[in-house]
Amino acid sequence: MTPADLHPMLTPSDPENRPIGYVVGGGLKANLFVRLTLPAQEVQEGGFVVLESGDWQFYGLVTDLQLGALDPRYAEMQNAARLAQPAARLLAGQTLYTNLEVMPALMLERGPEPGSPEYESWSREHQDENAPRPLPIKTVPAHHAVARLASAGDVAEIFGNPESKGFFVIGNTREQDHPVCINLDKFVQRSSGIFGATGTGKSFLTRIILAGLIQHNAASVLVLDMHNEYGFDDTSSDTGQSVPGLKGKFAERVRVVGLGRATTIRNHTPDLHLEIYESDIQPEDIELLTRELNLKETTSTTLEALVHSFGHERWYTEFKHMANGAMITDDEGKKVPAAGSVAYWANQEGVNVAAAEGLHNKLRNIFNCPYIVERDPADKTSINSLNDIIYTLKNSKHVVLSFGKFEKDLDYLLVSNLLTRKIREAWEKMTNEFRSSGKNEPRPLVIAVEEAHKILNREMASQTTFSTIAREMRKYYVTLLIIDQRPSQIYDEVMSQLGTRVSGWLGDESDIAAVLSGLAGRDALRGMLARLQPKEEVLLLGWGVPMPILVRSRRYDDKFWKELKGKGAHLDADQSMKELGY
Amino acid sequence: MKAIPIGRLLRADTSGCVMGCRVSQTGTPAFGEMVLIPLSDGSRIYGLVYDIHIDDDGLVRQLVSANVSEEVIEDNRQNRNVPIEISLVFIGWEDASGRVSHTRVPRPPLTLDEIFPCVEEDILRFTGTGRPGYLRSLLRNQEIPAADLVTAHLRQVFSVAHHPDREGWRDRFLAEVVALLKDDYPQLMDVLTAVSAAME
Repeated sequence: MTPADLHPMLTPSDPENRPIGYVVGGGLKANLFVRLTLPAQEVQEGGFVVLESGDWQFYGLVTDLQLGALDPRYAEMQNAARLAQPAARLLAGQTLYTNLEVMPALMLERGPEPGSPEYESWSREHQDENAPRPLPIKTVPAHHAVARLASAGDVAEIFGNPESKGFFVIGNTREQDHPVCINLDKFVQRSSGIFGATGTGKSFLTRIILAGLIQHNAASVLVLDMHNEYGFDDTSSDTGQSVPGLKGKFAERVRVVGLGRATTIRNHTPDLHLEIYESDIQPEDIELLTRELNLKETTSTTLEALVHSFGHERWYTEFKHMANGAMITDDEGKKVPAAGSVAYWANQEGVNVAAAEGLHNKLRNIFNCPYIVERDPADKTSINSLNDIIYTLKNSKHVVLSFGKFEKDLDYLLVSNLLTRKIREAWEKMTNEFRSSGKNEPRPLVIAVEEAHKILNREMASQTTFSTIAREMRKYYVTLLIIDQRPSQIYDEVMSQLGTRVSGWLGDESDIAAVLSGLAGRDALRGMLARLQPKEEVLLLGWGVPMPILVRSRRYDDKFWKELKGKGAHLDADQSMKELGY
Repeated sequence: MKAIPIGRLLRADTSGCVMGCRVSQTGTPAFGEMVLIPLSDGSRIYGLVYDIHIDDDGLVRQLVSANVSEEVIEDNRQNRNVPIEISLVFIGWEDASGRVSHTRVPRPPLTLDEIFPCVEEDILRFTGTGRPGYLRSLLRNQEIPAADLVTAHLRQVFSVAHHPDREGWRDRFLAEVVALLKDDYPQLMDVLTAVSAAME
């Protein structure tokens, strides 16, 4: 006999809604305590539980399980060896127990019992816009409120119905395998992050979410694919199996862009080669490379003088072509800087010669980048590939920018920031036009940024366009999808702006704290993050999800694609037109 | 119900009574055995034997040190004036309509009321009413040897030949013992240890 047999309220009537315990105490701050009436192994940390209390249902997350004893002696003595088996069993059943610590998150009015006289009038009053919706927790369930694991209906009530448009299954609840959705329309409204230590499946999870976004087509997606993983088919480093790329699955909707002329990505020719015109490079693009190039404090003065001398479009080209250290002998036999040298220009502009020459030396790495080219003014057929990418994104298609062989941080930082700056300008312009003159509403854009700490760390965040996007660009329809293994390295101000956070296992305390920053109940969630399975278990958090929940993430396999494509087979007319680029 | 009474009531209150009976090795109820006392209004009181007391008298004192024959001993036992005193704790009652209650009896039986041992049918009727609430009156009573009494009672009920739910009853019984004594670790372990010994 279990304690459930002793408690008439806990007699299971519906196996789907089998009670697991009853509330014995707690509060909003200290969490609720639920006396477990099942073996502890049947409920795990992270379980999604429902507490039924009168006309209300409360939804919470199991954040801890604690062994308890009515009297410590019951726990300390091994009574099973001393007593007859039935006596020992019954003694343990009543004196030893497990308490669940449940972090309450939401509450929902469910009204009187269906069929009762009160229910009819209640349901009349709660129709349409007055229909009960999950609310943030404001009170607590009563003592002895029955707790049960959430059913598929409960999960759908809170996280959305997988069959509904815009709701994308990201995984399943661990205990009962119910699908958990994220609302993709909401997901793209604010920047979001995918975190996890190396090897926890971040890339697969990112592929899954990107596939969902592309399939749902609520936003354009730009993937800054530093390691060439997302565009074309890849091979898993763990299993050695082929991993489908987004291009292979969304041939018409995804363009793979390779950095540099004649670049191939995993032996595939990309749809477009990205070459950056020298005229597109601006001083701020250089300044954000301060750490990479070990630039001095004088850099900004020198760059300012260059722009002053040659203008925004020519400064880079002119500076590149200056000879560094070239000297000539003047009429008096003295060695002086040759015309066209850095020193010559510096002397003319009153710039510190050593600073200018030092900067020139340090920019040699960039001058030698083969993907930065000088535009031939005579060539009227050349296309600005940066603009081409922006045009693609504006037109409801998606871009995977693969860096090919240019995998150095320098390339990543320079190109991604430059491209993002251009995007920011374009989307700000579109939004202002939309707001002022009623032109077409801008297409939402999600920029997926790998190794985000490289461009969003404390030193660089203030200089890059990414931090501006994270902080402000929601209003301009551009958000970030940050993918990183060291969230603690990302600037706090950026982290605090992330709407949806999806985190796999993290070992480092500071990383865990960073993922949980700004969230209610972070103390309770801290241990959960540290104890996630190393693979396929993630915690969903933040504004984008109604409440934190632990899910077993979907597998990125054939089944996933069949389900995704199957769902997408029923597109409505509007969406079909969008698909075709209209 | 057996037609032959085992004794008559000497004194009583609403929690128990003392009955007297003749000295007999076989007819005397055993420790822990269930007995019942029919009342004149048709109700019946159930009790458990928790003490059996045999007092001496002047003649017994003389005979103890004398060399007496078996006939004399038997004569003394059959015809002595001082009866065996058997203490009962009341565990519940049954009204005239047959409804069993595990609560304190409304009024005590009267002196010289007859007392009968319970047959299996009585035991099943009394113990088959859900939760064994009568344990409260046994375990809360400091006067009686709870561990041994509970054990003897469990043994008697468990040995009923045609019990329809022997294990279920045992579990409910033990669960109630634990529920009542869980705040008293020494006594609970005392009771459960005794019960366990009987169940082996």
